[in-house]
Amino acid sequence: MPKYILKRILRSFLTMVIVITVVFSLLRLMPIEGYFENYDKLSQTQIDLGLQKLGLTDPLPKQLWSFGKQLLSGDLGVSIRYRKGVSINTIVAEKAPVSLQLGLTSLAIALALGLPLGILMSRSTRTKWKIGDKLGTVFIVIIQAVPAAAYHILIQFAGSQGVIHFGDWSLKLPMLFKLGDYRTYILPILSLAIGNIAYYAMWLRRYMVDEANKDYIKLARAKGVPSRQISRKHVFRNAMVPLIQYIPNSILFTLMGSLYVESLYSIPGMGGLLVAVIKRQDNNMVLALVVIYSIISILGLLFGDLLMALLDPRITLSSKEESR
Amino acid sequence: MTNDNIILSFQDLDIRFTLRGQVLNAIRSVSLDVYRGESLAIVGESGSGKSVFTKSAMGLLDANGVIAGGHIWYGGRDLTTFTREKEWLTIRGKEIAMVMQDPMTSLNPLKTVGDQILEAVLLHQDLRGEAAKKAAVQALAAVGIDDPERRYKQYPHEFSGGMRQRVVIAAAVACRPKILICDEPTTALDVTIQAQILDLIKALQKKLDLTTIYITHDLGVVANVADRIAVMYAGDIVEVGRCEEVFYDPKHPYTWALLSSLPQLGVKGQDLYSIQGTPPNLFHEVLGDAFAPRNPQALNIDFVERPPFFEVSPTHKARTWLLDPRAPKVEPPEHIRHLRQKGGYPHG
Repeated sequence: MPKYILKRILRSFLTMVIVITVVFSLLRLMPIEGYFENYDKLSQTQIDLGLQKLGLTDPLPKQLWSFGKQLLSGDLGVSIRYRKGVSINTIVAEKAPVSLQLGLTSLAIALALGLPLGILMSRSTRTKWKIGDKLGTVFIVIIQAVPAAAYHILIQFAGSQGVIHFGDWSLKLPMLFKLGDYRTYILPILSLAIGNIAYYAMWLRRYMVDEANKDYIKLARAKGVPSRQISRKHVFRNAMVPLIQYIPNSILFTLMGSLYVESLYSIPGMGGLLVAVIKRQDNNMVLALVVIYSIISILGLLFGDLLMALLDPRITLSSKEESR
Repeated sequence: MTNDNIILSFQDLDIRFTLRGQVLNAIRSVSLDVYRGESLAIVGESGSGKSVFTKSAMGLLDANGVIAGGHIWYGGRDLTTFTREKEWLTIRGKEIAMVMQDPMTSLNPLKTVGDQILEAVLLHQDLRGEAAKKAAVQALAAVGIDDPERRYKQYPHEFSGGMRQRVVIAAAVACRPKILICDEPTTALDVTIQAQILDLIKALQKKLDLTTIYITHDLGVVANVADRIAVMYAGDIVEVGRCEEVFYDPKHPYTWALLSSLPQLGVKGQDLYSIQGTPPNLFHEVLGDAFAPRNPQALNIDFVERPPFFEVSPTHKARTWLLDPRAPKVEPPEHIRHLRQKGGYPHG
């Protein structure tokens, strides 16, 4: 197992090198006009000087090498256009915690509501009218079929405009996000969570129904195991194995924030940052973000695989490819 | 329940399934007594209802199946009156346990085999902690698994098919049941393993004083293990008797046809016998003898009225009009009459 992990980490490192090389090289193909605010008015000498300052006149391998060295020392570089001269580490350290905080809270809520909903639905499939399952399916279909923008706006509107009211009291939560004011966190968290609630409920229900129809459940029933205990110890546990694989990824991906929700509530998070810096042709920031995103994805997959191996005895992690 | 020797008694049992709005009569008014300590085989083709019939005694029918009539007597209680799971939990495992067909799928792949046996021990034997674990290890040893201490901690995928079936048997027996239902216990196994598993069940039956009910379509298995045979066709038991009575003196045309289909009875160079036609559609009411449409020698009355049971001997009875004193004499096929001369039971 340690050997396998080491091998996976080395391979991940190689993947990173390839990703960085490709992105780095592609970015160098961008027109140089993008690096200057007033390109038309600049003389050739000024342009050359500017490019030299940005380190763009060196041969590509040399640029790549110095970027790699800088990265290994933990420095993501300096923003050249988005927030000129500010260290990217600072920008990310400002924005990532906001996304992470909202994302993790919403993920915890999604798991806390989605998993019980999935369990309820799968249990309900064995009752006569399957009411729980049908209602849950309606919810899931609506969430999956309606464009997310529609229900995000609905949540924002219904939560902030006093549409929901009982007598004198009406629900008027702040419409926009304000750092530190926890009342403003409620609606964005709800918006972020609702899709995941449907997602986890749908998959858990599906896996639980699958498991509940397997032969070993019939044997457990024949042994006289009470159905609650079967549900908990056999069905739920086994159904969680394929699902748990994606949880590390879900946790890490909250770091990236949500493009739509963050712009809707004007949250200063990571969502949309990549699009913004690509538009501004801030090469250093594009690279830095790509590096962060690749690390997140690679780690998510690695942790997912390790978790799977911990939970499913049939999977043995080894460095041999053919044993997979 | 007059006879002390009867451990389990089915009386006029009717089981129906609702499938896509249609009603299927899976079991049509079947009565059968199971005697204490015996080994009974229920044989029949796929879909004849043999599995459903026995599952009803454990309350393990699928959700769309109901007992529409009749009684199942066990220990002075009528199991058909059970409605809540709590009532069934006094029967399942504790009184009647089951070994299923496919050992490859009937163990939870994510739990150690030890845990799965321990589960039964904790539920049905008054043991806790170390003592319970010890009992589970012993259960593994009792089904002939070497090095049970080590095997206890292993997962099902580390066992071969035959070994897994031993584990399933260990889990069933660890419940300390009175009756063990073996639903096609060897069908999914290698031929070389089949005999070992049957021997194991036989040995356990003797050791633990079990009553065993085998569900099978393999007459070779039946010949090996059964004291009595019940032949099932289209949701009804058509003939029941002691093993040698059914093999050597079968009375029902369906039993004849079944025995004629034994490959061992085939003559080299000739096509093997097969029963013409298909079983009746149980969505419709079956008139008369269910086998009549496939029986070339069927009598007119076979199509009109369901035959009653005629007693051949105190232990042997069959549901066929051929046994009526007024019926014409119809002899069973030649080769079946010579089954005894052909070297006894057809061993599978």
